[in-house]
Amino acid sequence: MRAVLKDGVAIFKPQGFLDSNNSEYFVSIDDIKATIKLEASLILVSLEKVIFFNKNGLDNFVKMFQKIAPSHNAILGFCDCDDKKYTAITQFYKNNLTFSLFNSLQTALLFSSNYKNEGKTVLLYSEDKSQRTAMAIELHNFGHNPIIAQSEKEFLEKKSNNSLYDVIIEKTFLAQVGETISTRVSGNAIIYTVSSFLDSNLDSTFNMQYHKNSLTIGFRLFIFDAYKVAAMNIHALDFFSKLSFFSAEYNATICFVGLTFNKIPPAFKETLEGSGILFYKEMDDILKNRELLDEFSKTTSNIQNKKSINKKIILELPNFIDATVSTIEMMTNTDAKKDALAINTLFVDKQDGEIASSIAFYGDIDGIIVFIFPRTIAKKACGLLLGEQTDDIYMILDTLAELVNIVAGKIKTLLAGQNIDINITLPRTYANMDDLLNIIENKKGVQVDLEFDNDKFLFFLTR
Amino acid sequence: MIKKTDIELYIDKIPPTPQVIKNILHLLQHGDLVLASMEAQKDLALTAYLKNFVNKPIYGFRYKIENISQIFTALGISSIEQIIYNYMTNLLSPDEWYFFKLNKITFQNLQTELSVNWKKILNYLNIKNRNIENSITLLPACFIVTEAIFKQKKDDIIQLRSVQNIDLNTILKRLTTYNIFDISQQISKKWDMPKIIGQIVKASSGDQKNDNQKIDLLGKWMHLLLFYTLSKKQFIEAELNDFIDFNINYVSPIYDEFATLMDIK
Repeated sequence: MRAVLKDGVAIFKPQGFLDSNNSEYFVSIDDIKATIKLEASLILVSLEKVIFFNKNGLDNFVKMFQKIAPSHNAILGFCDCDDKKYTAITQFYKNNLTFSLFNSLQTALLFSSNYKNEGKTVLLYSEDKSQRTAMAIELHNFGHNPIIAQSEKEFLEKKSNNSLYDVIIEKTFLAQVGETISTRVSGNAIIYTVSSFLDSNLDSTFNMQYHKNSLTIGFRLFIFDAYKVAAMNIHALDFFSKLSFFSAEYNATICFVGLTFNKIPPAFKETLEGSGILFYKEMDDILKNRELLDEFSKTTSNIQNKKSINKKIILELPNFIDATVSTIEMMTNTDAKKDALAINTLFVDKQDGEIASSIAFYGDIDGIIVFIFPRTIAKKACGLLLGEQTDDIYMILDTLAELVNIVAGKIKTLLAGQNIDINITLPRTYANMDDLLNIIENKKGVQVDLEFDNDKFLFFLTR
Repeated sequence: MIKKTDIELYIDKIPPTPQVIKNILHLLQHGDLVLASMEAQKDLALTAYLKNFVNKPIYGFRYKIENISQIFTALGISSIEQIIYNYMTNLLSPDEWYFFKLNKITFQNLQTELSVNWKKILNYLNIKNRNIENSITLLPACFIVTEAIFKQKKDDIIQLRSVQNIDLNTILKRLTTYNIFDISQQISKKWDMPKIIGQIVKASSGDQKNDNQKIDLLGKWMHLLLFYTLSKKQFIEAELNDFIDFNINYVSPIYDEFATLMDIK
């Protein structure tokens, strides 16, 4: 069974009965390896659809958590644990609870860095006082407003007035997490989470290749979520200064959110500001300020990347097109028609309501793929993924990103069949064509014009 | 990817009940076990299937039974009828499975596990009705339908499900308005199965309540039995476990009785 990845959260959803006879078949070694590669900030096993389990049945998932925990900064645990399931698990593992337990998926997501879910008023109770405090701190860090009940009586009184709270947390246990840098995307900002003491380890824990590729496909705002940073030394200072200078060449902005300077020399702040890094108290100060976001996310021509399309990539064009066509046909239940193919700079006959997405790949071959969609195609894909049609542009862009993720995954699989190994960045979406053209203009590539049930669709492959 | 017309074409292509089977079922309905067994011997594929099915350990016979008349006598009308329906379902199954990791043997094991435990449930519920007993034989047809519809799209489905947790039944419904259980109901009509068989199997999808209390109750037991069976390692390995959505709330009223009956500790 493979985990489903959405907004940086990986979820396993086993169904039925979990016991010693079958649990290893629900999660195999290959599944664990695939999960590690997802680099999710939250890895959950939902017990919502499990009607019976025993300790042996859970052990295999717990072993997976233990395998992932030392090297990943993810919160790992079970969610959708009702009272009975919570009590059973806490009894099974008594003093050895090394993973988290959440009463619902909604509760678990409060501890993820998904800012669509932020600013919730949360009523919180745990019998364990240290758990209450730990959860409250984490919730606060993730931008929520926790209200802690100090006793069961107080909790029950408050709970009776449940309309006052967005989420009620009980029967939840939060385990400690590791120490690497996790990455997520909110809108068109890339958010890196850093914690504790920052030193020369940043060189090994920060994925510079990923950062470069994100710049290449047009991300221009990078936020370091530093709420949990205690201090930093001169090596970390040097690292961030260099990163900022490097990113400035792409006209990108680097921000720190939640960093306190109690244990960091004031001179460090001056140095960081001098290298162009901005500081904000709260994540909301950026992510809820649309004007600021638009300003930060404005794309400019990529002055660094002068690579041009080459024969090696063009030879793989059929794989790129096959993956794109079959995925969009599947998601929209339409048939594709190829209209034209040309090697040139991107030509877009701008129409109202077009949206776009780009994704980069790197490894044995590297490049950028751009997809330009009429909104109707993205809406049809919403129909399959969400079971409903929507006009909400943010929901449409989110679905578009998922669709592009599926296409990219398929391309990766097709190329792997020919021993070509690639990695893929997160997709960047564009609500208007101008931002896209700023990135891509003057770049030569292969443009394929397609039609899906008379809806024009444009595929562009470049470097 | 999958269009409504593809489904309709698939239903059209389902072969009608073979004449030999029709004759056997007719004789069984009139209680003529001897003539039915003689009729069965005309169909070599059926006799091979019967011998294989009956001699599985789950039936608990101490010695291998090879003689068709003996098989008919040993099992009795209702069990034989059930195996004949299982055989019909089996006729639809592919020679090679691609979407699910099944083969002839594991598919027959699935049929046997479901049949034996369904009988246990009906004994517990004190229901003695051959049509209701036979309803379990249509359930595995859902897997055959899923295999046939999705086999060319396996990679697409894997990619789709890597970003969104949607079961195959929901995917099919969103694409074509048909779900897997609607199609199995169509199969039961084509094979002139009694109406209640299709109704119980449809109720076992767990996605909508049946107004008839008895059918709804049987649907609950069948839904839970399905997931009990699909949680066995060979069927998890065959990737059957998440083909439809398990509705825990639907089966919770009967879970404790089920757990006692199946000796789940």
